[in-house]
Amino acid sequence: MSAGARTEPSCAPSRGSGVRLYWELMRVGFRRTAAYRAAAISGAITNTFFGFLRASVFIALYEGRGVVGGYSLDDALLFAFATQGMVGLVELWSWWRIAETVQSGQIATDLSRPIDYQLAWLAQDYGRALFQLVARSIPPFVVGVALFELALPASPVGWLALLPSLILAIAVSFGWRFCLNLSAFWLVDHRGVAGIANLAALLLSGFLVPLALFPDALRGPLYVLPFSAMVAIPIDVLLGKLRGADLAAALLLQACWAVAMLALGRMMLAVALRKLVIQGG
Amino acid sequence: MRENAILYGLLVGAQVRAQLQYRASFALQVLGQFLANFVGLVTLFLLFARFDTLAGWSRAEVMFLYGLGCFAFGLSDLAAGGFDRLSVALQTGTFDRVLTRPAGVFLQVLASDFQLRRLGRVAQGAVALMLALATLDVAWTAPRVLVLLSAILSGVGIFVAIWVIGAAITFWTVQTSEVTNVFTYGGEEMVSYPMSIYSDGVRRFFTAVVPLAFVTYLPSLYILDKPDPLGLPPVLRFCSPLAAVGFLLAARGAWALGVRHYQSTGS
Repeated sequence: MSAGARTEPSCAPSRGSGVRLYWELMRVGFRRTAAYRAAAISGAITNTFFGFLRASVFIALYEGRGVVGGYSLDDALLFAFATQGMVGLVELWSWWRIAETVQSGQIATDLSRPIDYQLAWLAQDYGRALFQLVARSIPPFVVGVALFELALPASPVGWLALLPSLILAIAVSFGWRFCLNLSAFWLVDHRGVAGIANLAALLLSGFLVPLALFPDALRGPLYVLPFSAMVAIPIDVLLGKLRGADLAAALLLQACWAVAMLALGRMMLAVALRKLVIQGG
Repeated sequence: MRENAILYGLLVGAQVRAQLQYRASFALQVLGQFLANFVGLVTLFLLFARFDTLAGWSRAEVMFLYGLGCFAFGLSDLAAGGFDRLSVALQTGTFDRVLTRPAGVFLQVLASDFQLRRLGRVAQGAVALMLALATLDVAWTAPRVLVLLSAILSGVGIFVAIWVIGAAITFWTVQTSEVTNVFTYGGEEMVSYPMSIYSDGVRRFFTAVVPLAFVTYLPSLYILDKPDPLGLPPVLRFCSPLAAVGFLLAARGAWALGVRHYQSTGS
């Protein structure tokens, strides 16, 4: 990349350069993640391996059975590899970058920059996710589809809907992680929160077990929680389980949760900043 | 040997005392670890609510495999977690300090990151085992008890060997390779289910090269008196300790090679 291609930062940001700034931040997030190429490759291998483990379990479970809870064996196999692809994308666990800046004090510098704090992180997170999509989401999925000769179920509309669904899933997951990270303002050690949060995110999002296979009484309530917006909805869009009005309603639900989560994060930040004292020195 | 045991006790004891200083934080961490592993158990309950058997294994039988694997893996993580942190010591140069101390390098790394909170995972395995055994009607004979105990110890040994080999590789790669996770966390997940469900290549690799089949599947065939669709020689059901010792020796060789290859970053 040539240095000449970049524009010099101006002292008085105009409205046009605002968008440009977040675009640059997104590229920074992309490049920062892309720098760890070995981590990406080994991550893709790990995700593919776990996809195979989960697929083996589903094959054994579905032996002599047809459709269970609306999921056929092919659906379950696609689910196994697609959820592994979601791991890097929505980063469901162990993302504590903001909490670390709270602990180190780096957050003071970040907050003093003349940009929106939350949007700056969101832009970088989209950059991170874009790289992960290429490096860690598509490979396990392609390998699984090719080896088990799975038919891709999504209709043209389904494929078109997948993109906004993934974009919204990342926003909801970022909003959720942003709130979790800000808990570092009140708790010295985030590992306790991390355990409980992981449990909620892994189970309730339909990551480990498809929500379709949950007990019938739980399925409805779980589907409207923000966790399903991170994993279950995009997976169901991919599997072609959502069509027409259901599809539109699911995307709308994701959008609502994205806005709600980001708003909650902003509120938490405002409360945290009221008690934040920065030691000069 | 005795000296090493005393030294290990001293090094670990100091860390335990430090960790117990912040009791509330410690309790939360143990709870966090317990809950993080709780998902495994909940997953089993959810899956078996929809499907009643998995390749001829009942929920309680699969829970037995899961509990055994989780318990052994948790103990190995508790005892040998320091190997997982070796890459940090290599990057920051603190490994040089280890080399200059008048004590064994292996022992120092082994005792370098003892986190009592990892008991959360061990507790999870114990709960699963007890739940399984409460349902299963195992005719407990002396050989069965012996095979169970040897399976736990061998499982710990096999997982410790995997941590050590993973660490030995970092002498070349410096950064911990996430591929090690395939064998550690992936291994734990893998041994939670009967080996017979995996494809041939995977199964052979995890019996003959990395002996994960000896952690839960083979001893459980004997303890739970299950038929083996794989037709492996029945004598293998008692061979977990041999597999563990052999694999630990291989790990020791890999470790020695790695230490010999080590060159300080010099910073």
